[in-house]
Amino acid sequence: MFTLRRTSIAAIAAASAVLAGCGTAAEEDGASGEPVEGGNLTFATGDAEPTCLDPHVGGNMPQKIAGIHVVESLFTMTQDGEVEPWLAESGEMSDDGMAWTFTLKEGVEFTDGTPFDAEAVKANIEHLQDPATESSTGYLAVEHVDEVEAVDAHTAVFHMSEPDAALKESLAQTWLGIQSPAALERSREENCEAPVGTGPFVVEEWNRQHSITYSRNEGYTSAPATAEHEGPALLDTLTIRFMPDAASRYAALQAGEVDVIDSAQPDTIAQARRADGPIQDLVGVRSGAATRLELNTGGETFSDPLVRRAFMHASDIETGVDTLFFGTAERTTSLLASSTPHGTTHDDGAYDYDPQLASDLLDEAGWEMGSDGVRTKDGKRLTVRIPVSTHQSIPAEQSLLEQIQSQAADVGFDVTLDPMDLSSWYAAAGAWEFDAITAPYGKSSPDVLRIIFHSDGIEPAPSGYHANNINVRDEELDSLLERANQTTDEDERAELYAEAQQIIVDGAYVMPLYDWQTRILHRDSVNGLRLETNLSAPWFHEVWVD
Amino acid sequence: MPPVVRYLLARLGGLILVLWAVATIVFLALKAVPGDEVDAILGPGSNASAEAVALAIETHGLDQPLLVQYWVQLKAIATFDWGTSFSYDRPVTELIGEQLPSTLTLSLAALALAWVMALIFALISVFGRRTWRVMSMIEVVSAALPHFALAIVLIVIFSTWLGLLPPVSTDSLDSLILPALTLAVPTAGFLGQIMRESMLDALEAPFTTSARARGESTIGLFARHLLRHAVLPAVSLAGWAFGSLMSGAVIVEEVFARQGIGRTLLGAVSVRDMPLVIGILMVIAAVYVAVMLLVDVAEAAIDPRVRRPA
Repeated sequence: MFTLRRTSIAAIAAASAVLAGCGTAAEEDGASGEPVEGGNLTFATGDAEPTCLDPHVGGNMPQKIAGIHVVESLFTMTQDGEVEPWLAESGEMSDDGMAWTFTLKEGVEFTDGTPFDAEAVKANIEHLQDPATESSTGYLAVEHVDEVEAVDAHTAVFHMSEPDAALKESLAQTWLGIQSPAALERSREENCEAPVGTGPFVVEEWNRQHSITYSRNEGYTSAPATAEHEGPALLDTLTIRFMPDAASRYAALQAGEVDVIDSAQPDTIAQARRADGPIQDLVGVRSGAATRLELNTGGETFSDPLVRRAFMHASDIETGVDTLFFGTAERTTSLLASSTPHGTTHDDGAYDYDPQLASDLLDEAGWEMGSDGVRTKDGKRLTVRIPVSTHQSIPAEQSLLEQIQSQAADVGFDVTLDPMDLSSWYAAAGAWEFDAITAPYGKSSPDVLRIIFHSDGIEPAPSGYHANNINVRDEELDSLLERANQTTDEDERAELYAEAQQIIVDGAYVMPLYDWQTRILHRDSVNGLRLETNLSAPWFHEVWVD
Repeated sequence: MPPVVRYLLARLGGLILVLWAVATIVFLALKAVPGDEVDAILGPGSNASAEAVALAIETHGLDQPLLVQYWVQLKAIATFDWGTSFSYDRPVTELIGEQLPSTLTLSLAALALAWVMALIFALISVFGRRTWRVMSMIEVVSAALPHFALAIVLIVIFSTWLGLLPPVSTDSLDSLILPALTLAVPTAGFLGQIMRESMLDALEAPFTTSARARGESTIGLFARHLLRHAVLPAVSLAGWAFGSLMSGAVIVEEVFARQGIGRTLLGAVSVRDMPLVIGILMVIAAVYVAVMLLVDVAEAAIDPRVRRPA
């Protein structure tokens, strides 16, 4: 019932956004001169409301969106995936990979007055590793850290149980952000309510199902290397509103009730670009894996490589992405997001639209066309089940899947799309009840390939979820991904990742679709807004309003 | 035992029975949904360690047999210890306490608006005889309008085009108008149909003829006789209307980004936060039962026929 309703809302939302645009009057461009101090800004997010503001607990996108203003990380990244200093000045891996030495910034304080030092870093890693914290993303990222040694106030050495060349990139994520050790000792409820970090803002009030209000940290000194502005934030307050419905979120932006929205629909972005009015867009790529369809080789349909290849060639993804996203996203042939280093593109025909080839491959595989347009073999129909999470898949993505469904039908596939809520979706994924699936996975490192394609990922986590959806056990692939994660020689890393990606492409296990994006619309009174890069969350430290 | 006490005891028994049934159905339904509850506690798709999973299972008693879990749940509800939400890690009563006022305000505003609109619908079609077919059609269409579609249309017209009302909830009272209207229109369409039938019946009843014969004016006729007939069905259907408004609130709160238990319920169901889901549904059931009780009292006050000796 809930999924049905969500889908219908989405459909109406898309239609009404077009309607709504007719009423917009173009205003004069606001003159953006020198930064102005003071002012309040409201950011409406379409992502879910987090249930805990401490990003160590659990570890999902909503927590990152809410937490980054308060809790800062040891490192940050540039748009090109270069790791840059944030709370840490530098990090070096020892030759044998069994130790990482981090030099920390001096003179930084948490907003409760606790000094930021090596002991604080140690307390944070231990908090992430404590089962009572119930950390998922952060826990995985520090899995190979044995112990943190506070050598002196500004030097922390991580002793490893196994080498992890991606550790610095992992530490750039908000889910591994550094919080005041004094605050971490409070009850979990208190820490979830208002975590204490070194960030440009402090949590003032969390009004559930409505908003989080932040006020400026007057003593802010720890801007990341990517920042263009030092010192405290320019805004007095920042408010995050939770607005799940895309149409009303956009209406609120048009009415000036809010200044910035995320998860903007493609058509509204296209409209803002055309109109050159008071609403502007900011689209960024979330690092990690590109949005893709993963084929379950453990199921009956896609155990045969010929059938997998046929499926790849059955749909015109390029035209689909272009039209459904109104030119605001591009089709990709890479397994990795374009913002993540060491991704390789595969425009050599592996993913070309070629229905004739698809038909030939299915003929070759022994699937004969039935009278109802669906192919059969030994009495079995050529079916593809795709569970669709209505929480994770935006409407345009769902439409793209519908297009794949209809084009694959032309060559004899019977594709079923099952819209479902998030927990049912995880249950279906965990139980391998799918032939193909789209599952976002964000990580600021090509090491995401190891998480989603290493055979270790086939074994479910204790909670029942497995990160690997293609169900392939390939020793060579495993070894390449492990070696890539253990070397710091970037050339060697690039080569190992390239070989690993070629194996995935040759196996026709994954159909890349497009980059996973952060899609922002904002009023032109908002200046200096950028996306903090490791996972493209809006960053308000440098923002001022006219 | 005096009849009043007996009556009240019977109603109280009925109330407890309803709440017990709700608790049982919700418990069974949530247990029957596929997927692991540990997911709800640790966050869906969690990659948490084996220790974290074991700790969560133990803390929340998920290793106990189903019957034990059911018993624990019932006992907790009966003693008003509604437990801790899996996903928020906060007391359920506290979460509901924060959200309920907003939903009640919305539902009451919508109910009042629906009554006024329904009365206007009915009056127009009763007194403007020629318009009744048109009004009847308007009522049918209103009653059939889905909340989400109506909400978006209202936002586009009143907020985007006319710029009169905020499209989302704000601190000011005018942000209550669009959500209340969204909930009220379909309910008014339904109530209006019934009110009109009831008034038309009354117009043809012998007492109307005799009142007219006594020289009663149209307004007097309306005030003294017809209004009572129009209000009766509206009152007896108030329980139903209130129930439908509460369920409609799930959608309206989400679209207008309003606080409320509807929105909280939606989130809680999607991550299978069992204590929170049960808590919210218990509150909705209790409010519903309380409204039904009030309806009975109000009916007795308005309609002498209801006041039978016990």
